[in-house]
Amino acid sequence: MSAVLEFDRVNFAYPGSDVSALTELSLSISEGESLALLGPNGAGKTTALRLAMALLHPVSGEVRVMGKATVGRMPEDVAGNAGFLFQRPEHQLFASSVREDVAFGPRQLGQDNIDEVVERALDQLELGDVASVHPYDLPAPRRRLVALAGVLALRPRLLLLDEPTAGLDRHSRLLVRRALAAHRAEAGAVVAVSHDGEFVLEALDRAVTLEHGRVVGDGGSAEALGRLGAPPAPAWARLVAQMGAAPAQWRFEPAVEFVAMRCRAAPDA
Amino acid sequence: MSAFTATGAGFRYDAGDAAALVDVTLSLNAGTVTWFTGAPGAGTSTLLLLAAGLAPLHTGGTATGVVSLLGENPQSAEGRERLAGRVAYVSADPASQLSGIAETVRREVAFAPANLGRQREQILASAARAMERMEIAHLAERAPASLSGGEQQRVAVASMLALEPGAWLLDEPGSALDARGRETLAAVLRDEANRGALVMVASEDADWLVGWSDRLIVMKAGQLVQDGTPAALLADPSLAETGAGSTAIATFARALAERDQRLASASYPVTVQDALERWA
Repeated sequence: MSAVLEFDRVNFAYPGSDVSALTELSLSISEGESLALLGPNGAGKTTALRLAMALLHPVSGEVRVMGKATVGRMPEDVAGNAGFLFQRPEHQLFASSVREDVAFGPRQLGQDNIDEVVERALDQLELGDVASVHPYDLPAPRRRLVALAGVLALRPRLLLLDEPTAGLDRHSRLLVRRALAAHRAEAGAVVAVSHDGEFVLEALDRAVTLEHGRVVGDGGSAEALGRLGAPPAPAWARLVAQMGAAPAQWRFEPAVEFVAMRCRAAPDA
Repeated sequence: MSAFTATGAGFRYDAGDAAALVDVTLSLNAGTVTWFTGAPGAGTSTLLLLAAGLAPLHTGGTATGVVSLLGENPQSAEGRERLAGRVAYVSADPASQLSGIAETVRREVAFAPANLGRQREQILASAARAMERMEIAHLAERAPASLSGGEQQRVAVASMLALEPGAWLLDEPGSALDARGRETLAAVLRDEANRGALVMVASEDADWLVGWSDRLIVMKAGQLVQDGTPAALLADPSLAETGAGSTAIATFARALAERDQRLASASYPVTVQDALERWA
């Protein structure tokens, strides 16, 4: 498996700040991998994503995307390999219609089959019915989906997502999960910052926990949520854990099956 | 006396085909936390914008009917003038709320009361107290733009808290907060209600709101469709028909009922504790 994204002893502090945002960060993410960056507000999660997109550059150490160091490169130089979903979708929406917005990135990169790629991205996130609407005339949750469709249409190997499910309803979250699964099936990698325990558990296999800019944990996402409770594991995972289910059963469908079996087995159920 | 009333309130954005709010009639008391939810586009955000006087002023569109906040009409220029400093509007997008000119978090939090011409000693004291309560005192000398999204959201709330407002209008205020931040915010808003403030909060996050809101109003296609106590409405299987989400456990119970008819129930468990009592 080749590495899609590597952090190699990366140190970073924001200009004018005497606080280190990231300290000696070393991490490697391979093709097909999905990684959650967990940790409290201010731990350095978004900073790590920005470094991967060449929006920031390390003070020391090296960040490599598809084997190539980001030093001296601009976000647009990385955009062929990495797509970034901002915490505020408003940062990346500016065209006069949803379809135009989604097509903007691939056009800038001079990709081919643009129509096909755009339709697929709109389709994946169920935005076909609003394709000709102005993005700002959509409710905030759907604006986030438009921004994600624009990132998917770039067909990057690496998706960098900052709170991709914030404010999304259940169905929209399912669409995001499916889109990420399709991306990984095509050898793509995902790195997401999220406080949404349900999303982390269902969509991301590996979890790295940061505190004060340092890695304090790296392992399976179910174990990380079970151990830390931060972000809080979804309530059903806590429920079935208390009922004695294994981490493999802490995902929604296996959890439903586990409780259904228990209830059927109970004499008065 | 009602701190907020809407009488036949409607709203239509310039671009939308459908009305964003349809004939909303509602009365809310000071000292309570009212939680609004619904499927995306149900109208909860628009209702808060209308109550704050931000719609149609900043959004465009057309309002009909009558709204009153703290006894004033937020749709009129005179009403908004009298409401200045008494209303805290907090959006899901904290960065858009920061002044952009304050060099430090302390100055940012003091910005609104200073702008209203309050006394220096009083401003410093209320800013310090607000930062303490939102647990950002350690960030006081940092530049607001250098903070993370979650930290900025705390700053946005603290800057409103320093105003000691009579009404809070919050739209997904926990979207970027970690678990600790959500608990802190819930406690602060509960205290604000206990102090006598009106609190209106729009959120999808049932697991967060269920424990500390007094009243739940469910909206669908711009209308109020359910109104009651959070625990009762979230347990009711009919909530799903509105498109609004319930707690993770109630959603789980619904999936269980769909899987096996024998496990269907007239009321779902809402919390982990409810579910353990029923199933364990």
